[in-house]
Amino acid sequence: MKFGLFYEISVPRPWERETERTVYNNCLEQVKLADELGFEQVWAVEHHFLEEYSHCSAPELFLTACAMVTKNIRVGHGIVVCVPEFNHPIKIAERTATLDILSGGRLEVGTGRSATWTELGGFRADPDSTKKSWDEFVRCLPRMWTQERFSFQGEFWSMPERTILPKVYQRPHPPMWVAVTSPGTELDAADRGLGSLGLTFGQFAEQEKKIAEYRRRIQLCEPVGSFVNEQVATVNFLYCHEDDAIGVQKGRGMANMFNYLATQLISTREVYASRSYQSLGLLPQLRRQAVGPDANQQGGEGLALGGPERIIKAIKNWESCGVDRINFLLNANEVIPQAEVMASLRLFAREVMPAFKDSAARAPAKAVA
Amino acid sequence: MPLYGTLDTASVAARLPRLADLDTEAWSLPKAETLQLAFEVPTDTWALLPKAMHPAVPAYAIVAVTRYSESPVGPFVLAMLRLAGRAGAHPRGFVLGGVASSAAAANALRERWGLPVEAGEVSLVRRHDRVMARASLGGRPILDAALVNPEAISPSDVQYINWVTLAQAPLDGVTKPMLVQVDPKHTLHKAERGRPEVSLLDAAAWNAGPLKPLNPIVATMAVSDTDLPRIRFVMDTEIPVFKGTRRIRESREGE
Repeated sequence: MKFGLFYEISVPRPWERETERTVYNNCLEQVKLADELGFEQVWAVEHHFLEEYSHCSAPELFLTACAMVTKNIRVGHGIVVCVPEFNHPIKIAERTATLDILSGGRLEVGTGRSATWTELGGFRADPDSTKKSWDEFVRCLPRMWTQERFSFQGEFWSMPERTILPKVYQRPHPPMWVAVTSPGTELDAADRGLGSLGLTFGQFAEQEKKIAEYRRRIQLCEPVGSFVNEQVATVNFLYCHEDDAIGVQKGRGMANMFNYLATQLISTREVYASRSYQSLGLLPQLRRQAVGPDANQQGGEGLALGGPERIIKAIKNWESCGVDRINFLLNANEVIPQAEVMASLRLFAREVMPAFKDSAARAPAKAVA
Repeated sequence: MPLYGTLDTASVAARLPRLADLDTEAWSLPKAETLQLAFEVPTDTWALLPKAMHPAVPAYAIVAVTRYSESPVGPFVLAMLRLAGRAGAHPRGFVLGGVASSAAAANALRERWGLPVEAGEVSLVRRHDRVMARASLGGRPILDAALVNPEAISPSDVQYINWVTLAQAPLDGVTKPMLVQVDPKHTLHKAERGRPEVSLLDAAAWNAGPLKPLNPIVATMAVSDTDLPRIRFVMDTEIPVFKGTRRIRESREGE
C-alpha cells in the first residue's frame, strides 16, 4: 500500500486578495511535509469555474511548485482534461514533458474528460464527444512523448509532422491513469492498460467488485502506451488525531463540507441529455451523504478519519479489496486549521504508515513485451 | 459556503398561491408529452431564489411545456418557468410562474400543490423540423419557444429535476409562505433532443424579474407516464433547507 495526497484546492468565500494565496501556500507546506514523511504521490485536479469547490485550474503549475520544494514525492497530473476546447494535445505533451524533466522523472499523468456542465459549457465543449476525444488523446500522448517526429490526422485534432519538444525524462514515459467515477470507466482503463485513478469514496463491496473486474480485464488489454500500468488508486479523506472521537468529529466536518460543495456542481447529466453522460458519477453517492455542511453524521465506510487504530483498520480493508494506493484529501474549504492538518499528517506517518511498511506493493508498471 | 438566494419573501407574499391543506391526493398523468428547454440566464436571477436555497452556478432556467392528455380535470397544457437551484445538496427547479390552458387545471394546481399557475392559452405543436410552444395571458403572448431539429435519443438519457414552489401553506396552525417540494415521477417511453430556441419570454409575466435567455443548453421532447404526487416535504423560506425541512408524510405513502 502506498499513500499520497489529493488536491482539489477548495477556497472558502469571501475571496479576499490573500485567500487563494494562503490556501495554495498551505497546500505547498503540506506537500513538503508529506515528502519528508514518506508519502509517495501528490495529485492535483484540473477544474475550471467551480467556485469554492476547486480553484485548481492550472495543476501543472502547482505541481511544478511541488516538485521544486520536494525530493522524492511523485507529482500526479490528476487529471488533465482530454477535450480539445480545454487543452490542445500538443500543449499537454509539451507541458507534461517539461514537468517530468523539472521533477526529475517524478510525473504521473492522469487523464479524463470533465463531468460538469459548468466546465464543459464554459469552454463550449460538446458533451457528446468527450469520451471520443479522450480516447484519441490517450492514444497520441505516449507517441508524442517518445517518437522523434510525430504527425496525426484524427477526428478531433490533427497536425503535420513535427518534433514535439521537450521529450519526457522517464523511460519509456510516465505512467498513465484514467479518472474513474462513472460506472464502467474502470473497464475503459483496463482495456487500454491504464491505471485506475478512483475518485469515489468508501463502499468496500462496490469497489472490490470493480477492482476485480479491472484486474481480469487488464490481462487482455491492448495498451495505449509502452507498458501496462496495472494499479488501482482510490481517494479518501484523512484526519488523524490521538483522540479517536475528536478525529472522527473533525474529520466528518471536513468530509461533510467537501460533499456539500461537490453536490452544488451542475453535473452534465442534470442539464444535458446525452448518451455520453448517462451516469451522475460521484454525485449520487455524495448527495446521499451530504446532509449538510455542518451535519455531524457522515455515511461512507472506510474513511480515514479518527484515531490511528481506526484508520489502520479502514486501510487494511482497502488493501484486502485490492487497492494499491490511497490518495488523501486533507482539507475542504479550510475547515481544519493548517496546524492541525500538519499534525494529522505527522501522526499518520508515525502511527499508521508503519503498519503498512511491509505491504507487498504492486509493481508500478509492467513492461510490454 | 455556497451562496444563497436573496428573495425577500414578504415582497411577493401577496401574490402567492394559497394551499387549503397539505393533504392533496395524487394525480396520475399518463402519456404526458413534455417539451423542456434549458438555457443559462443572468447571474442576478439569484435574487429570485428564496434564502433557503443555493443558486446553480452558472444560473440556468428551464421552460417546460407539457400536454397532459388525461387528468382528473380533463386534458390541459401547462407551461412553467423554473429557475434551477439547490435545496441543500439536491438540484431543484424553483417554480417562478406558469400558465395552464384550462381554468380548472390552473385552480387545482394552485390550490393543491401551491404552483403559481394562471389560466391562459398554451399550445404545443409538433412539426418534423421543430416542436413549438407558445403561451399567452389574456391574449398577450408571453412565450414563444421551440426545440429545433429533433433527433431521437434514448429515454434514459433524459433527467428531470424535482420542483420547489413558494406558496402560502398551513403548518402548525399558521398559514405563511413556505417552500413546497413537488416531485413527480416519470416513466419515460420516448425522447428526442434538439437545439433550444426562445424567441419570446416576457419575464414580468412569469414573475421572473431580470431573467432572460442567454446561452442555450439543450432541449428535449419526451413522452412519459407521470404524476403530481402528494406533498412530502415543506421547507422554511429563510433558513437553509438542511435545517428547515419538515417531512409531511413518508415517501409516496398511500399512492
